[in-house]
Amino acid sequence: MRKRIALVAVVQLACVLVAVAPQLSARAAGDEYRLAVAPIDPIDPFRGAYVTLDYPGIEGADDGRSGELYVSLVRDGDLWRPGPISRTRPDSGPYLACDDTYWQVRCGIESWFVPQDEAARLERKLWESGAVATVKVDGRGNAAIVALDPR
Amino acid sequence: MSTTLDPRPVTPARLAWLRTQLDSWETDGLLDDAQAAAILDSYHPSRRFGLTGLLFSIGAIFLGFGLIWLVAVNYEHLSPSVRFGIVAGLWLALLVGGEALHVRRSVPAAASGAIRLLAAFAFGAVVFQAAQSLQVPAYEPALVGLWGLGALAHAYAVGAIMPLAVGIAASLGWYLWVVLWDSTSSLSGVLSLAVAAVVATSLAALHERWLPRFADAWREVGALLALAAMFWAALPFAGPGGFAWSFWLVAGLALAAGSAVAAVLLSRGTTRLEPLVAVGAGVVSVALVLWEAVGTGDGGATFADWAQVSLAVAGYAVLAVAVAALGTLRDSWRLTALSTGALVVFTTVQSFAVFAQIIQGAWLFVVLGLVFVTTGYVFDRARRRLARNLTEVS
Repeated sequence: MRKRIALVAVVQLACVLVAVAPQLSARAAGDEYRLAVAPIDPIDPFRGAYVTLDYPGIEGADDGRSGELYVSLVRDGDLWRPGPISRTRPDSGPYLACDDTYWQVRCGIESWFVPQDEAARLERKLWESGAVATVKVDGRGNAAIVALDPR
Repeated sequence: MSTTLDPRPVTPARLAWLRTQLDSWETDGLLDDAQAAAILDSYHPSRRFGLTGLLFSIGAIFLGFGLIWLVAVNYEHLSPSVRFGIVAGLWLALLVGGEALHVRRSVPAAASGAIRLLAAFAFGAVVFQAAQSLQVPAYEPALVGLWGLGALAHAYAVGAIMPLAVGIAASLGWYLWVVLWDSTSSLSGVLSLAVAAVVATSLAALHERWLPRFADAWREVGALLALAAMFWAALPFAGPGGFAWSFWLVAGLALAAGSAVAAVLLSRGTTRLEPLVAVGAGVVSVALVLWEAVGTGDGGATFADWAQVSLAVAGYAVLAVAVAALGTLRDSWRLTALSTGALVVFTTVQSFAVFAQIIQGAWLFVVLGLVFVTTGYVFDRARRRLARNLTEVS
Protein backbone atom coordinates (compact mmCIF):
# COMPACT_ATOMS: atom_id res chain seq x y z
CA MET A 1 0.00 0.00 0.00
CA ARG A 2 2.89 2.40 0.76
CA LYS A 3 4.17 1.98 -2.80
CA ARG A 4 0.72 2.75 -4.20
CA ILE A 5 0.37 5.91 -2.10
CA ALA A 6 3.86 6.99 -3.17
CA LEU A 7 2.87 6.30 -6.79
CA VAL A 8 -0.29 8.41 -6.43
CA ALA A 9 1.75 11.25 -4.90
CA VAL A 10 4.33 11.08 -7.72
CA VAL A 11 1.67 10.99 -10.47
CA GLN A 12 -0.23 13.89 -8.89
CA LEU A 13 2.95 15.94 -8.47
CA ALA A 14 3.73 15.24 -12.14
CA CYS A 15 0.27 16.66 -13.00
CA VAL A 16 1.10 19.82 -11.02
CA LEU A 17 4.43 20.13 -12.84
CA VAL A 18 2.72 19.76 -16.23
CA ALA A 19 0.20 22.45 -15.21
CA VAL A 20 2.93 25.01 -14.51
CA ALA A 21 5.76 23.72 -16.75
CA PRO A 22 6.11 26.74 -19.09
CA GLN A 23 6.09 29.24 -16.22
CA LEU A 24 8.44 27.10 -14.10
CA SER A 25 10.89 26.68 -16.98
CA ALA A 26 10.87 30.42 -17.71
CA ARG A 27 11.41 31.32 -14.05
CA ALA A 28 14.17 28.78 -13.58
CA ALA A 29 16.08 29.22 -16.82
CA GLY A 30 14.79 32.39 -18.45
CA ASP A 31 16.21 35.91 -18.83
CA GLU A 32 14.31 39.02 -17.75
CA TYR A 33 12.63 41.43 -20.19
CA ARG A 34 10.56 44.51 -19.31
CA LEU A 35 7.43 45.10 -21.45
CA ALA A 36 4.81 47.87 -21.41
CA VAL A 37 1.28 46.66 -20.53
CA ALA A 38 -2.28 47.96 -20.05
CA PRO A 39 -4.82 46.40 -17.60
CA ILE A 40 -8.28 44.82 -17.82
CA ASP A 41 -9.86 43.33 -14.63
CA PRO A 42 -11.81 40.08 -13.92
CA ILE A 43 -12.01 37.02 -11.57
CA ASP A 44 -11.08 33.35 -12.05
CA PRO A 45 -13.42 31.03 -10.06
CA PHE A 46 -10.58 28.77 -8.88
CA ARG A 47 -7.81 31.28 -8.31
CA GLY A 48 -9.51 34.55 -7.43
CA ALA A 49 -8.95 38.12 -8.56
CA TYR A 50 -6.46 39.01 -11.24
CA VAL A 51 -5.63 41.75 -13.67
CA THR A 52 -5.72 40.77 -17.34
CA LEU A 53 -2.76 42.33 -19.11
CA ASP A 54 -2.82 43.52 -22.68
CA TYR A 55 0.56 43.86 -24.39
CA PRO A 56 0.38 46.50 -27.15
CA GLY A 57 1.79 44.99 -30.33
CA ILE A 58 1.08 41.34 -29.48
CA GLU A 59 -1.68 40.35 -31.87
CA GLY A 60 -2.68 37.43 -34.07
CA ALA A 61 -0.98 36.95 -37.44
CA ASP A 62 -3.19 38.23 -40.26
CA ASP A 63 -2.83 35.05 -42.34
CA GLY A 64 -6.24 33.41 -41.89
CA ARG A 65 -4.73 30.62 -39.75
CA SER A 66 -4.64 29.99 -36.02
CA GLY A 67 -2.49 28.00 -33.61
CA GLU A 68 1.14 28.35 -32.60
CA LEU A 69 2.57 31.83 -33.03
CA TYR A 70 6.00 33.30 -32.25
CA VAL A 71 6.50 36.93 -31.28
CA SER A 72 10.09 38.20 -31.38
CA LEU A 73 11.11 40.79 -28.77
CA VAL A 74 12.97 43.90 -29.86
CA ARG A 75 14.82 46.28 -27.53
CA ASP A 76 13.24 49.75 -27.35
CA GLY A 77 15.19 51.96 -24.93
CA ASP A 78 14.79 50.66 -21.36
CA LEU A 79 12.00 48.32 -22.40
CA TRP A 80 11.42 45.53 -24.89
CA ARG A 81 8.54 45.56 -27.35
CA PRO A 82 6.91 42.94 -29.60
CA GLY A 83 8.61 42.72 -32.99
CA PRO A 84 8.05 40.45 -36.01
CA ILE A 85 5.35 37.75 -35.69
CA SER A 86 5.73 34.37 -37.41
CA ARG A 87 4.19 30.89 -37.53
CA THR A 88 7.62 29.26 -37.46
CA ARG A 89 9.95 29.25 -34.48
CA PRO A 90 12.67 31.94 -34.89
CA ASP A 91 16.26 30.73 -35.16
CA SER A 92 17.37 33.00 -32.33
CA GLY A 93 15.75 34.79 -29.42
CA PRO A 94 14.40 36.38 -27.51
CA TYR A 95 10.89 35.48 -28.59
CA LEU A 96 7.57 34.49 -26.98
CA ALA A 97 5.87 31.17 -27.85
CA CYS A 98 2.17 32.05 -28.13
CA ASP A 99 -1.14 30.64 -29.39
CA ASP A 100 -3.91 32.52 -31.23
CA THR A 101 -6.44 29.69 -31.45
CA TYR A 102 -8.91 31.71 -29.38
CA TRP A 103 -9.99 35.35 -29.37
CA GLN A 104 -6.96 36.40 -27.33
CA VAL A 105 -3.33 35.71 -28.20
CA ARG A 106 -2.05 33.67 -25.22
CA CYS A 107 1.65 33.77 -24.38
CA GLY A 108 1.42 32.63 -20.74
CA ILE A 109 1.81 36.17 -19.35
CA GLU A 110 -1.72 37.61 -19.62
CA SER A 111 -2.79 37.34 -15.98
CA TRP A 112 -1.43 38.87 -12.78
CA PHE A 113 -3.08 37.27 -9.71
CA VAL A 114 -3.39 39.54 -6.66
CA PRO A 115 -5.75 39.78 -3.63
CA GLN A 116 -9.20 41.25 -4.44
CA ASP A 117 -8.58 44.71 -2.88
CA GLU A 118 -5.13 44.93 -4.39
CA ALA A 119 -6.56 44.06 -7.84
CA ALA A 120 -8.97 47.01 -7.77
CA ARG A 121 -6.27 49.41 -6.49
CA LEU A 122 -3.72 48.15 -8.99
CA GLU A 123 -6.17 48.39 -11.85
CA ARG A 124 -6.91 52.08 -11.08
CA LYS A 125 -3.22 52.86 -10.83
CA LEU A 126 -2.43 51.10 -14.08
CA TRP A 127 -5.22 52.87 -15.97
CA GLU A 128 -3.76 56.20 -14.82
CA SER A 129 -0.11 55.62 -15.57
CA GLY A 130 0.28 52.30 -17.39
CA ALA A 131 2.69 49.64 -16.19
CA VAL A 132 5.78 47.65 -16.95
CA ALA A 133 5.75 43.87 -16.68
CA THR A 134 8.96 42.06 -15.89
CA VAL A 135 8.85 38.79 -17.79
CA LYS A 136 11.25 35.85 -17.75
CA VAL A 137 11.60 34.03 -21.08
CA ASP A 138 13.53 30.80 -21.63
CA GLY A 139 15.19 29.59 -24.82
CA ARG A 140 11.98 27.88 -26.07
CA GLY A 141 9.86 31.02 -25.72
CA ASN A 142 8.13 29.89 -22.50
CA ALA A 143 7.35 33.03 -20.52
CA ALA A 144 6.39 33.83 -16.93
CA ILE A 145 5.52 37.21 -15.50
CA VAL A 146 7.49 37.84 -12.30
CA ALA A 147 6.70 41.48 -11.46
CA LEU A 148 4.32 44.27 -12.40
CA ASP A 149 5.26 47.90 -11.65
CA PRO A 150 3.46 51.16 -12.38
CA ARG A 151 5.41 53.34 -14.81
CA MET B 1 -6.28 -17.01 19.25
CA SER B 2 -9.85 -15.87 18.72
CA THR B 3 -11.10 -12.36 19.09
CA THR B 4 -14.63 -11.11 19.53
CA LEU B 5 -15.46 -8.06 17.44
CA ASP B 6 -18.37 -5.70 18.02
CA PRO B 7 -20.96 -6.03 15.26
CA ARG B 8 -20.30 -3.43 12.57
CA PRO B 9 -23.18 -1.27 11.27
CA VAL B 10 -24.18 -1.75 7.62
CA THR B 11 -27.21 -0.64 5.63
CA PRO B 12 -30.19 -3.05 5.58
CA ALA B 13 -29.82 -3.41 1.78
CA ARG B 14 -26.19 -4.47 2.13
CA LEU B 15 -27.07 -6.93 4.90
CA ALA B 16 -29.80 -8.45 2.73
CA TRP B 17 -27.25 -8.85 -0.07
CA LEU B 18 -24.81 -10.51 2.34
CA ARG B 19 -27.52 -12.99 3.46
CA THR B 20 -28.16 -13.94 -0.17
CA GLN B 21 -24.45 -14.42 -0.80
CA LEU B 22 -23.96 -16.50 2.34
CA ASP B 23 -26.85 -18.78 1.30
CA SER B 24 -25.25 -19.18 -2.10
CA TRP B 25 -21.82 -19.97 -0.60
CA GLU B 26 -23.40 -22.51 1.76
CA THR B 27 -25.13 -24.17 -1.17
CA ASP B 28 -21.79 -24.31 -3.00
CA GLY B 29 -20.17 -25.93 0.03
CA LEU B 30 -17.78 -23.04 0.66
CA LEU B 31 -19.17 -22.38 4.17
CA ASP B 32 -21.03 -24.35 6.81
CA ASP B 33 -23.95 -23.10 8.92
CA ALA B 34 -21.77 -22.04 11.85
CA GLN B 35 -19.38 -20.04 9.69
CA ALA B 36 -22.22 -18.29 7.86
CA ALA B 37 -23.90 -17.42 11.17
CA ALA B 38 -20.60 -16.10 12.60
CA ILE B 39 -20.11 -13.84 9.59
CA LEU B 40 -23.69 -12.59 9.77
CA ASP B 41 -23.36 -11.93 13.52
CA SER B 42 -20.48 -9.55 12.91
CA TYR B 43 -22.84 -7.05 11.24
CA HIS B 44 -26.04 -5.38 12.31
CA PRO B 45 -28.44 -3.30 10.22
CA SER B 46 -28.31 0.43 10.76
CA ARG B 47 -29.73 3.33 8.78
CA ARG B 48 -27.45 5.66 10.73
CA PHE B 49 -24.58 4.23 8.72
CA GLY B 50 -25.97 5.72 5.51
CA LEU B 51 -26.79 9.01 7.22
CA THR B 52 -23.30 9.19 8.75
CA GLY B 53 -21.72 8.57 5.36
CA LEU B 54 -23.90 11.26 3.80
CA LEU B 55 -22.96 13.79 6.47
CA PHE B 56 -19.25 12.95 6.21
CA SER B 57 -19.37 13.29 2.42
CA ILE B 58 -21.27 16.59 2.47
CA GLY B 59 -18.85 17.88 5.11
CA ALA B 60 -15.85 16.86 2.98
CA ILE B 61 -17.36 18.51 -0.12
CA PHE B 62 -17.88 21.78 1.80
CA LEU B 63 -14.34 21.60 3.20
CA GLY B 64 -12.95 20.83 -0.26
CA PHE B 65 -14.66 23.77 -1.93
CA GLY B 66 -13.66 25.92 1.04
CA LEU B 67 -10.03 24.93 0.57
CA ILE B 68 -10.10 25.86 -3.14
CA TRP B 69 -11.87 29.10 -2.23
CA LEU B 70 -9.08 29.87 0.25
CA VAL B 71 -6.61 29.51 -2.62
CA ALA B 72 -8.72 31.95 -4.65
CA VAL B 73 -8.71 34.49 -1.77
CA ASN B 74 -4.96 34.91 -2.44
CA TYR B 75 -3.88 35.92 1.09
CA GLU B 76 -1.34 38.68 0.77
CA HIS B 77 0.10 38.10 4.28
CA LEU B 78 1.72 34.87 3.12
CA SER B 79 4.13 34.68 0.21
CA PRO B 80 3.07 32.54 -2.79
CA SER B 81 5.69 29.89 -1.98
CA VAL B 82 4.57 29.64 1.67
CA ARG B 83 0.95 29.30 0.54
CA PHE B 84 1.95 26.55 -1.88
CA GLY B 85 3.90 24.77 0.89
CA ILE B 86 0.90 24.87 3.24
CA VAL B 87 -1.56 23.57 0.61
CA ALA B 88 0.87 20.86 -0.59
CA GLY B 89 1.53 19.75 3.01
CA LEU B 90 -2.20 19.52 3.67
CA TRP B 91 -2.73 17.49 0.47
CA LEU B 92 0.07 15.04 1.35
CA ALA B 93 -1.20 14.64 4.93
CA LEU B 94 -4.74 13.97 3.71
CA LEU B 95 -3.56 11.53 1.00
CA VAL B 96 -1.36 9.50 3.36
CA GLY B 97 -3.71 9.85 6.35
CA GLY B 98 -6.80 8.82 4.37
CA GLU B 99 -5.13 5.68 3.04
CA ALA B 100 -3.59 4.79 6.40
CA LEU B 101 -6.95 5.10 8.16
CA HIS B 102 -8.62 3.06 5.44
CA VAL B 103 -6.10 0.24 5.73
CA ARG B 104 -6.09 0.16 9.55
CA ARG B 105 -9.90 0.49 9.74
CA SER B 106 -9.45 2.44 12.96
CA VAL B 107 -12.26 4.82 11.98
CA PRO B 108 -15.62 4.16 10.27
CA ALA B 109 -15.34 3.58 6.53
CA ALA B 110 -17.44 6.71 5.96
CA ALA B 111 -14.83 8.82 7.77
CA SER B 112 -11.86 7.46 5.82
CA GLY B 113 -13.93 7.86 2.62
CA ALA B 114 -14.53 11.51 3.50
CA ILE B 115 -10.79 12.06 4.06
CA ARG B 116 -10.06 10.45 0.67
CA LEU B 117 -12.62 12.80 -0.88
CA LEU B 118 -10.96 15.74 0.84
CA ALA B 119 -7.54 14.56 -0.41
CA ALA B 120 -8.89 14.64 -3.99
CA PHE B 121 -10.12 18.22 -3.47
CA ALA B 122 -6.81 19.14 -1.81
CA PHE B 123 -4.97 17.93 -4.90
CA GLY B 124 -7.06 20.38 -6.95
CA ALA B 125 -6.11 23.11 -4.49
CA VAL B 126 -2.41 22.24 -5.02
CA VAL B 127 -2.81 22.56 -8.82
CA PHE B 128 -4.59 25.91 -8.53
CA GLN B 129 -2.20 27.24 -5.88
CA ALA B 130 0.83 26.29 -8.01
CA ALA B 131 -0.75 27.97 -11.03
CA GLN B 132 -1.60 31.07 -9.01
CA SER B 133 1.86 31.29 -7.47
CA LEU B 134 3.50 31.04 -10.91
CA GLN B 135 0.97 33.36 -12.59
CA VAL B 136 -0.34 30.81 -15.11
CA PRO B 137 -2.90 32.76 -17.22
CA ALA B 138 -6.50 32.72 -15.98
CA TYR B 139 -9.24 30.44 -17.32
CA GLU B 140 -6.85 27.68 -18.31
CA PRO B 141 -8.95 24.52 -18.79
CA ALA B 142 -5.86 22.26 -18.64
CA LEU B 143 -5.67 22.92 -14.86
CA VAL B 144 -9.12 21.36 -14.34
CA GLY B 145 -8.19 18.48 -16.65
CA LEU B 146 -4.99 17.78 -14.71
CA TRP B 147 -6.92 17.91 -11.44
CA GLY B 148 -9.27 15.26 -12.86
CA LEU B 149 -6.39 13.15 -14.14
CA GLY B 150 -4.64 13.20 -10.74
CA ALA B 151 -7.86 12.34 -8.90
CA LEU B 152 -8.51 9.42 -11.29
CA ALA B 153 -4.94 8.18 -10.71
CA HIS B 154 -5.63 8.28 -6.95
CA ALA B 155 -8.94 6.43 -7.37
CA TYR B 156 -7.57 3.63 -9.54
CA ALA B 157 -4.34 3.17 -7.56
CA VAL B 158 -6.14 2.46 -4.29
CA GLY B 159 -9.65 1.54 -5.46
CA ALA B 160 -11.30 4.57 -3.84
CA ILE B 161 -14.78 5.68 -4.90
CA MET B 162 -14.66 9.26 -3.58
CA PRO B 163 -11.61 10.37 -5.61
CA LEU B 164 -13.25 8.64 -8.59
CA ALA B 165 -16.27 10.96 -8.23
CA VAL B 166 -14.02 14.02 -8.11
CA GLY B 167 -11.93 12.71 -11.01
CA ILE B 168 -14.96 12.08 -13.21
CA ALA B 169 -16.51 15.48 -12.39
CA ALA B 170 -13.29 17.42 -13.05
CA SER B 171 -12.44 15.48 -16.23
CA LEU B 172 -15.96 15.98 -17.53
CA GLY B 173 -15.80 19.69 -16.67
CA TRP B 174 -12.51 19.96 -18.57
CA TYR B 175 -13.90 18.18 -21.65
CA LEU B 176 -17.06 20.30 -21.90
CA TRP B 177 -14.94 23.42 -21.33
CA VAL B 178 -12.42 22.73 -24.13
CA VAL B 179 -15.15 21.73 -26.61
CA LEU B 180 -17.37 24.73 -25.89
CA TRP B 181 -14.33 27.02 -25.81
CA ASP B 182 -13.64 26.06 -29.44
CA SER B 183 -17.25 26.37 -30.58
CA THR B 184 -20.09 27.83 -28.49
CA SER B 185 -22.81 26.14 -30.55
CA SER B 186 -25.68 24.10 -29.07
CA LEU B 187 -24.65 21.30 -31.43
CA SER B 188 -21.15 21.29 -29.89
CA GLY B 189 -22.65 21.15 -26.39
CA VAL B 190 -25.10 18.36 -27.21
CA LEU B 191 -22.48 16.37 -29.14
CA SER B 192 -19.91 16.67 -26.33
CA LEU B 193 -22.49 15.55 -23.73
CA ALA B 194 -23.57 12.65 -25.94
CA VAL B 195 -19.95 11.61 -26.57
CA ALA B 196 -19.18 11.74 -22.85
CA ALA B 197 -22.34 9.72 -22.14
CA VAL B 198 -21.27 6.95 -24.54
CA VAL B 199 -17.73 6.86 -23.07
CA ALA B 200 -19.05 6.76 -19.48
CA THR B 201 -21.65 4.07 -20.23
CA SER B 202 -19.11 1.95 -22.13
CA LEU B 203 -16.60 2.27 -19.29
CA ALA B 204 -19.36 1.19 -16.88
CA ALA B 205 -19.96 -1.95 -18.96
CA LEU B 206 -16.22 -2.73 -19.06
CA HIS B 207 -15.83 -2.05 -15.33
CA GLU B 208 -18.72 -4.43 -14.63
CA ARG B 209 -16.50 -7.27 -15.77
CA TRP B 210 -13.10 -6.26 -14.40
CA LEU B 211 -13.65 -3.64 -11.68
CA PRO B 212 -17.34 -3.81 -10.62
CA ARG B 213 -16.74 -1.50 -7.68
CA PHE B 214 -16.41 1.45 -10.08
CA ALA B 215 -19.15 0.44 -12.54
CA ASP B 216 -22.07 2.15 -10.77
CA ALA B 217 -20.39 5.56 -10.73
CA TRP B 218 -19.61 5.49 -14.46
CA ARG B 219 -23.11 4.15 -15.26
CA GLU B 220 -24.88 6.87 -13.28
CA VAL B 221 -22.74 9.60 -14.85
CA GLY B 222 -23.45 8.13 -18.30
CA ALA B 223 -27.21 8.18 -17.66
CA LEU B 224 -27.07 11.75 -16.38
CA LEU B 225 -25.10 12.90 -19.44
CA ALA B 226 -27.40 11.14 -21.93
CA LEU B 227 -30.44 12.76 -20.30
CA ALA B 228 -28.69 16.15 -20.24
CA ALA B 229 -27.75 15.89 -23.93
CA MET B 230 -31.32 15.15 -24.99
CA PHE B 231 -32.72 17.83 -22.67
CA TRP B 232 -30.47 20.44 -24.31
CA ALA B 233 -31.27 19.13 -27.80
CA ALA B 234 -35.02 19.44 -27.16
CA LEU B 235 -34.86 23.11 -26.14
CA PRO B 236 -36.55 25.32 -28.77
CA PHE B 237 -33.47 27.50 -29.33
CA ALA B 238 -30.99 24.60 -29.76
CA GLY B 239 -29.68 24.68 -33.32
CA PRO B 240 -26.48 23.94 -35.21
CA GLY B 241 -25.60 27.61 -35.80
CA GLY B 242 -21.93 28.46 -35.12
CA PHE B 243 -20.86 24.82 -35.02
CA ALA B 244 -17.23 24.03 -35.86
CA TRP B 245 -15.33 20.78 -35.58
CA SER B 246 -12.46 20.82 -33.11
CA PHE B 247 -9.64 18.44 -32.23
CA TRP B 248 -11.18 17.50 -28.87
CA LEU B 249 -14.61 16.82 -30.36
CA VAL B 250 -13.15 14.48 -32.99
CA ALA B 251 -10.94 12.82 -30.34
CA GLY B 252 -14.01 12.36 -28.11
CA LEU B 253 -15.99 10.79 -30.97
CA ALA B 254 -13.11 8.39 -31.71
CA LEU B 255 -12.86 7.45 -28.02
CA ALA B 256 -16.63 6.98 -27.79
CA ALA B 257 -16.66 4.73 -30.87
CA GLY B 258 -13.71 2.66 -29.62
CA SER B 259 -15.02 2.28 -26.09
CA ALA B 260 -18.55 1.40 -27.29
CA VAL B 261 -17.23 -1.33 -29.61
CA ALA B 262 -14.99 -2.69 -26.82
CA ALA B 263 -17.89 -2.66 -24.35
CA VAL B 264 -20.27 -4.47 -26.71
CA LEU B 265 -17.66 -7.10 -27.58
CA LEU B 266 -16.27 -7.68 -24.09
CA SER B 267 -19.19 -7.25 -21.70
CA ARG B 268 -21.82 -9.88 -20.95
CA GLY B 269 -25.60 -10.24 -20.89
CA THR B 270 -27.82 -7.17 -20.92
CA THR B 271 -24.84 -5.01 -19.91
CA ARG B 272 -23.80 -4.86 -23.56
CA LEU B 273 -27.10 -3.10 -24.37
CA GLU B 274 -26.23 -0.12 -22.17
CA PRO B 275 -23.64 1.49 -24.51
CA LEU B 276 -26.00 0.91 -27.44
CA VAL B 277 -28.78 2.78 -25.65
CA ALA B 278 -26.35 5.66 -25.00
CA VAL B 279 -25.35 5.68 -28.69
CA GLY B 280 -29.02 5.67 -29.75
CA ALA B 281 -29.83 8.52 -27.34
CA GLY B 282 -26.87 10.50 -28.71
CA VAL B 283 -28.00 10.00 -32.33
CA VAL B 284 -31.54 11.16 -31.51
CA SER B 285 -30.17 14.18 -29.59
CA VAL B 286 -27.96 15.28 -32.48
CA ALA B 287 -30.82 14.70 -34.96
CA LEU B 288 -33.07 16.97 -32.87
CA VAL B 289 -30.50 19.78 -32.96
CA LEU B 290 -29.89 19.36 -36.70
CA TRP B 291 -33.63 19.41 -37.41
CA GLU B 292 -33.90 23.04 -36.23
CA ALA B 293 -37.56 23.19 -37.23
CA VAL B 294 -38.85 25.30 -34.37
CA GLY B 295 -38.97 28.92 -35.37
CA THR B 296 -42.42 30.17 -34.55
CA GLY B 297 -42.67 33.53 -36.18
CA ASP B 298 -45.84 35.43 -36.96
CA GLY B 299 -47.53 32.34 -38.35
CA GLY B 300 -47.38 30.36 -35.07
CA ALA B 301 -46.36 26.73 -34.65
CA THR B 302 -46.14 24.74 -37.86
CA PHE B 303 -46.58 21.01 -38.45
CA ALA B 304 -42.79 20.63 -38.51
CA ASP B 305 -42.56 22.35 -35.10
CA TRP B 306 -45.08 19.93 -33.61
CA ALA B 307 -43.35 16.96 -35.23
CA GLN B 308 -40.01 17.99 -33.73
CA VAL B 309 -41.50 18.54 -30.28
CA SER B 310 -43.27 15.15 -30.50
CA LEU B 311 -40.00 13.40 -31.40
CA ALA B 312 -38.23 15.18 -28.52
CA VAL B 313 -40.92 14.22 -25.98
CA ALA B 314 -41.11 10.61 -27.21
CA GLY B 315 -37.31 10.26 -27.31
CA TYR B 316 -36.86 11.71 -23.83
CA ALA B 317 -39.63 9.56 -22.37
CA VAL B 318 -38.12 6.40 -23.87
CA LEU B 319 -34.66 7.32 -22.54
CA ALA B 320 -36.05 8.11 -19.07
CA VAL B 321 -37.89 4.77 -19.04
CA ALA B 322 -34.68 2.98 -20.06
CA VAL B 323 -32.77 4.65 -17.22
CA ALA B 324 -35.53 3.81 -14.73
CA ALA B 325 -35.58 0.19 -15.91
CA LEU B 326 -31.82 0.06 -15.53
CA GLY B 327 -32.24 1.40 -11.99
CA THR B 328 -34.70 -1.41 -11.22
CA LEU B 329 -32.49 -4.02 -12.83
CA ARG B 330 -29.35 -2.80 -11.02
CA ASP B 331 -31.19 -2.13 -7.76
CA SER B 332 -29.99 1.48 -7.92
CA TRP B 333 -32.33 4.01 -6.34
CA ARG B 334 -30.10 6.78 -7.67
CA LEU B 335 -30.81 5.83 -11.32
CA THR B 336 -34.54 5.57 -10.61
CA ALA B 337 -34.56 8.95 -8.85
CA LEU B 338 -32.49 10.47 -11.68
CA SER B 339 -34.90 9.31 -14.38
CA THR B 340 -37.94 10.45 -12.41
CA GLY B 341 -36.46 13.87 -11.64
CA ALA B 342 -35.26 14.32 -15.22
CA LEU B 343 -38.70 13.45 -16.62
CA VAL B 344 -40.45 15.88 -14.25
CA VAL B 345 -38.11 18.75 -15.20
CA PHE B 346 -38.32 17.90 -18.92
CA THR B 347 -42.12 17.65 -18.92
CA THR B 348 -42.44 20.96 -17.06
CA VAL B 349 -40.08 22.84 -19.40
CA GLN B 350 -41.56 21.35 -22.58
CA SER B 351 -45.13 21.85 -21.40
CA PHE B 352 -44.57 25.53 -20.70
CA ALA B 353 -42.62 25.96 -23.96
CA VAL B 354 -45.28 24.24 -26.10
CA PHE B 355 -48.68 24.62 -24.41
CA ALA B 356 -48.14 28.16 -23.16
CA GLN B 357 -48.22 29.28 -26.80
CA ILE B 358 -51.82 28.10 -27.19
CA ILE B 359 -53.38 27.87 -23.72
CA GLN B 360 -53.20 30.44 -20.93
CA GLY B 361 -54.34 30.95 -17.36
CA ALA B 362 -56.18 28.24 -15.43
CA TRP B 363 -56.52 25.91 -18.43
CA LEU B 364 -52.74 25.84 -18.83
CA PHE B 365 -52.41 24.35 -15.33
CA VAL B 366 -55.26 21.89 -15.95
CA VAL B 367 -53.57 20.67 -19.14
CA LEU B 368 -50.17 20.50 -17.43
CA GLY B 369 -51.69 18.44 -14.61
CA LEU B 370 -53.19 16.01 -17.13
CA VAL B 371 -49.85 15.78 -18.97
CA PHE B 372 -48.04 14.97 -15.70
CA VAL B 373 -50.54 12.33 -14.61
CA THR B 374 -50.58 10.66 -18.05
CA THR B 375 -46.79 10.77 -18.33
CA GLY B 376 -46.38 9.31 -14.84
CA TYR B 377 -48.82 6.47 -15.56
CA VAL B 378 -47.26 5.57 -18.92
CA PHE B 379 -43.74 5.94 -17.50
CA ASP B 380 -44.41 3.59 -14.59
CA ARG B 381 -46.06 0.93 -16.76
CA ALA B 382 -43.28 1.07 -19.35
CA ARG B 383 -40.55 0.93 -16.68
CA ARG B 384 -42.08 -2.15 -15.02
CA ARG B 385 -42.59 -3.96 -18.33
CA LEU B 386 -39.08 -3.19 -19.60
CA ALA B 387 -37.44 -4.21 -16.30
CA ARG B 388 -39.43 -7.48 -16.27
CA ASN B 389 -38.41 -8.27 -19.86
CA LEU B 390 -34.74 -7.49 -19.19
CA THR B 391 -34.77 -9.64 -16.06
CA GLU B 392 -36.20 -12.56 -18.04
CA VAL B 393 -33.56 -12.08 -20.77
CA SER B 394 -30.65 -11.93 -18.30
